[in-house]
Amino acid sequence: MEINWAPFFDQIINGVTVGSFYALIALGYTMVYGVLKMINFAHSEIFMMGSYTGLFTLTILTNLGLYERAPLLVVIVTFLAGMTGAALTGVTVERLAYRPLRRAARLAPLISAIGASIFLQELVRLLPNLGEAVTGISIGGADIFPQAVQDKVVSALSSFGGNYPKAYPGILNLGGIDIGEVYISYGRMIVVVTSIAMMAFLYFLVMRTRLGKAMRAVSEDKDTAALMGVNVDQVISRTFLIGSALAGIAGVMVGMYYLQIKVTMGFIPGIKAFTAAVLGGIGNIPGAMLGGYTLGLAESLGVLVLPAVYKDIVAFSLLVLTLVFKPTGILGEAVSGKRM
Amino acid sequence: MSDSASSPRPAFRQRLGGNLRWALIAVACAAVLVMPAIDFAQRAYWVRVIGYAGLYIILGLGLNVVVGFAGLLDLGYVAFYAIGAYTYALLAGSQFNIHLSFWLILPIAGLVASLAGVLLGMPVLRMRGDYLAIVTLGFGEIIRLLATNLTGLTNGSQGLYDLDKPLLFGLELKTGTHYYYMIFGLLLIVLFLTYRLDRSRIGRAWIAIREDEDVAQMMGVNTTFYKLLAFGIGALIGGLGGSVFAAWQGSIFPDNFNLFVSINVVCLIIIGGMGSLPGVIIGSFALIALPDILRGFRDYRLLLYGLLLVIMMIVRPEGFIPSRRVQLELRAQAPAEPQTDAPPAEQA
Repeated sequence: MEINWAPFFDQIINGVTVGSFYALIALGYTMVYGVLKMINFAHSEIFMMGSYTGLFTLTILTNLGLYERAPLLVVIVTFLAGMTGAALTGVTVERLAYRPLRRAARLAPLISAIGASIFLQELVRLLPNLGEAVTGISIGGADIFPQAVQDKVVSALSSFGGNYPKAYPGILNLGGIDIGEVYISYGRMIVVVTSIAMMAFLYFLVMRTRLGKAMRAVSEDKDTAALMGVNVDQVISRTFLIGSALAGIAGVMVGMYYLQIKVTMGFIPGIKAFTAAVLGGIGNIPGAMLGGYTLGLAESLGVLVLPAVYKDIVAFSLLVLTLVFKPTGILGEAVSGKRM
Repeated sequence: MSDSASSPRPAFRQRLGGNLRWALIAVACAAVLVMPAIDFAQRAYWVRVIGYAGLYIILGLGLNVVVGFAGLLDLGYVAFYAIGAYTYALLAGSQFNIHLSFWLILPIAGLVASLAGVLLGMPVLRMRGDYLAIVTLGFGEIIRLLATNLTGLTNGSQGLYDLDKPLLFGLELKTGTHYYYMIFGLLLIVLFLTYRLDRSRIGRAWIAIREDEDVAQMMGVNTTFYKLLAFGIGALIGGLGGSVFAAWQGSIFPDNFNLFVSINVVCLIIIGGMGSLPGVIIGSFALIALPDILRGFRDYRLLLYGLLLVIMMIVRPEGFIPSRRVQLELRAQAPAEPQTDAPPAEQA
């Protein structure tokens, strides 16, 4: 009896690709949790902002005709733009919504994070409407802005955000190679290689640099770190910057890979990535990667057994089970004395 | 500080405030009771809007038991609302051709939802607040996904429709006004129940858990039991609300139970004032009825919610009408920090 292994390997490749996305986003959750002991609820929207900023930049560059001339450069700029967009969002959210609450009661930052998350989603969705409303202000019947300005503003804002899903150019559609019966697209390879490179870079940053040392110190004990001359606020800000930039890369890649983005795109990957972070041991960087790939593989192999619609349910159940049976995750250090 | 203004003659202010407050409550109650009986142009619309706000007050009171009293942040409250609604739809519709009486289903729906709450609560209540929030969020989504995908049971995204209308002493409840009064009645019962709970031994146990779980446990409070009880009672009220919703609409779809129901309910509690019953009522009117009335601004509702949540947490974390205990709790940390500590945190 011959078993056809091809679907199995296809699903493994699929799982590794999806797992890369989860891992990249999970790193942001885990880093923020590491230094602040708080779940950054707005992280999924930071991811979404990265994706939108990337698309916006890509559209502009393509309209300028640059994509035909230097495609690689344009793609790199798109990634940088996505990272910048996400990082700026992350740092701003931290500054405005979390920092004032650093010493507040336990629930306050969490609720503030939910607020920031709703706000960002709606902001991107309503950008064209807001632009129209602001440029349409008239005093005493006389419009402040001429109609032409209003049209320009609205069209620029609609090419950034808006209520409808936006199409992403399929830049990662580059073909692929056949290995035996299994087909691997170059796009997937790029996703996996980029993610692993980013994680290696992050690991190096946290373990080998001065900033990384400061982050670990803040994560251990904020007050003692401050006494040792660490600028705690700055370290936290930079943690948000790096974690958000990684989410921005994930955002651009998810757009290029799935070819469509919308304002609510962050919700499911956000929860999945959080699950991945918990699975691997929250606060632990290799754990987030391991969790991301485990979850990606569990989901895509689950499709072989269960109908595809139960994919999300598998992930949520995995989250609950991890929290119940091993709340410290696979690689989590024992958090003795701290209640989970 | 605002407290210093009230200090000179607190007794007088309190008496005046008390009388004025009761007078206002009486006027508001009378207005709400009489409104559907007055004949005016947009009556049906107003009955619907206020009735809907009433339904959200019920949900808010239920979630308030969990979030406000016991301090457990539940972001998947819509799950219990959905369970209540589907229980009604399955037991009083043509899906399985079961046609039980509404008054029989109401307690069943409450119990089913409550059971789901306890079952969910058992594994997750050991977790800390933020984990609990994410797990309940996931649970809410699972219930919606199940409602969409278990087509044999729930008819999937086609929804269930042509549900039976409740009968009350031979009168078929079908107009908006009927449901308006039914919701009002249920609201009074729930309000009384939660008011009594807050002031009972159980309520004090919840407060102890909210303030400090370890200390509560050391004082002999069975924290697991009381947390489960809060979850169960909150879920029960959500289930009741869901059944009334299903009966009122006559049809339900999985999309009625999306994440935004949970977010709306959480927002109205927080903006009104966590743990405060008047706060829930005001919050519900502010968040559910107002955007409906101010049509132009309805598009921006969620945007403003988000902003409001952040601003509230920074400026007035205790809500508009705070429960006095929660206010003390949230402000308690301020004196521990020297006052001069605030500016340096601002500048860096």
